[in-house]
Amino acid sequence: MDESTKKGSVTSLASLFPVEEAQRAAKRVEDTIADKQSELDRLRGFATDNNSLINLVHKLPEQLSHDIMVPFGKAAFFPGRLIHTNEFLVLLGEGYYAERTSKQTVEILQRRGKSLDSQVDSLEANIKDLEAEASFFNATASQVAEGLVEIREDYLEKDSNEGEFKSGHLQQEAPNLGNATADDGEYARMLAIMDELEKEELAAESGNHSDQNDESTGDFHDISYREHIDNKLQNSKDVHQSELLDQINNKIITADLPKKQNRKEDITDQLNFASLAVESRVKERENFVEYIDPSEKIPARSKERSVQATTASKTEVRHQTSQPSFDSRKAFTGSIIEHAENIKPTTRQQSSASSQDSGSQSSKPVSRFKMQRR
Amino acid sequence: MNRRRSELRNAMSSSNLRDLQRELENKANDLSKLQKEIAKNHQMRKKYTVQLGENELVLKELDLLKDDANVYKLIGPVLVKQDLAEANANVRKRIEYISAELKRLDATVQDLEEKQNSKKDTILKLQQRIQSFQAGKGKA
Repeated sequence: MDESTKKGSVTSLASLFPVEEAQRAAKRVEDTIADKQSELDRLRGFATDNNSLINLVHKLPEQLSHDIMVPFGKAAFFPGRLIHTNEFLVLLGEGYYAERTSKQTVEILQRRGKSLDSQVDSLEANIKDLEAEASFFNATASQVAEGLVEIREDYLEKDSNEGEFKSGHLQQEAPNLGNATADDGEYARMLAIMDELEKEELAAESGNHSDQNDESTGDFHDISYREHIDNKLQNSKDVHQSELLDQINNKIITADLPKKQNRKEDITDQLNFASLAVESRVKERENFVEYIDPSEKIPARSKERSVQATTASKTEVRHQTSQPSFDSRKAFTGSIIEHAENIKPTTRQQSSASSQDSGSQSSKPVSRFKMQRR
Repeated sequence: MNRRRSELRNAMSSSNLRDLQRELENKANDLSKLQKEIAKNHQMRKKYTVQLGENELVLKELDLLKDDANVYKLIGPVLVKQDLAEANANVRKRIEYISAELKRLDATVQDLEEKQNSKKDTILKLQQRIQSFQAGKGKA
């Protein structure tokens, strides 16, 4: 999921254009083409009729009269004779007729033929366009059927410095844009809350449904709100969580010191926006510590404490180099050292000089806590 | 407490959902009516454009005729002789009328299409609301 959203989006063509839709579109265009084709055939028929009529009109005045069979009703003919072969009554359209000579008639017919030709041309061009469209639709349909996938990638500058930054930026933004499946629990809760709010709204305005302005602005708020939440979740999860966990572990190692209560509060304060899972883990640890504490003997505790102080400070130092700007931790170590100084400066020096040395002092009684820790 | 609330919510949402669906149906009916009207309008328009083309052709031919030409008009089963000038004026008038009619039809078609688009929008919104309702119900 993250891999695919990192650089671009992959959408299967089938989700954009379902197969049936594409095929239906292609079919509709083909139907239109068939219609146009029949229209074209009709026009062509008119044109040929027109041409043969022109020929006939040309020929008729060549003789004074023609012997013809005159149609009478549907099935009967009788012989007749065509006279006045140079007089035509031409239908101009809309019920208007004009008396014309053969030559004039031919002129009219030729003009008509020209307009027919232009109509045929335009229709042919139209059909060509439609055919291109149909072939596109068919291609799409076949591509969809093959399960083609559309890959969209944002164009990134190839600067070596900015490349990393941008990709990181994109990575952070990608979940915000689309479906934040990573934090389902939180998201579902937010959605539930929003559903509730929406329902209240609907109940309130049950009368006027058609207030579109209100609706649209409401939608907008929802969206921005959601994005905000996403951002928060993102931050709390990605940035803080790992650090917090480290920090919690460190603190818990030395949690048997007197100011336990305060520190616990510290931890929980800092955990304010970490997820529930983390909190529950912390609680577990605390329970563990509390369980250990009373069993310890006082003399053993002081030495033990010194050893642990050193280890803790060591880890602290390691962490501080990596993340130098964390004040609460400094204050914490300070408290430990204060305590360690209460015992003996020599032991502290010794232990801080080499942690291995203090660890190798096996003659000293080892607390149950430490044993468990190993 | 929580359960009761969720039950209440379910009942509320289901009644709301029914309302929405009824509204959607009404809107869909309106839309199909509009579409029918638009189709009718288009047919009328097509007919008028054909007539306009024919009339223009007639006018062109009449203009080309000499003044002494005999022009007849078919009225029912009989051909009635007409003055060329009169025929010309008649055809012009007819063309004017058809053009006006076409303009009117264009305006109505535009109006209808606007209505259709707004109807489509409202229908889309309704569908989205119904979907969100169903999603909320599925979650609850």
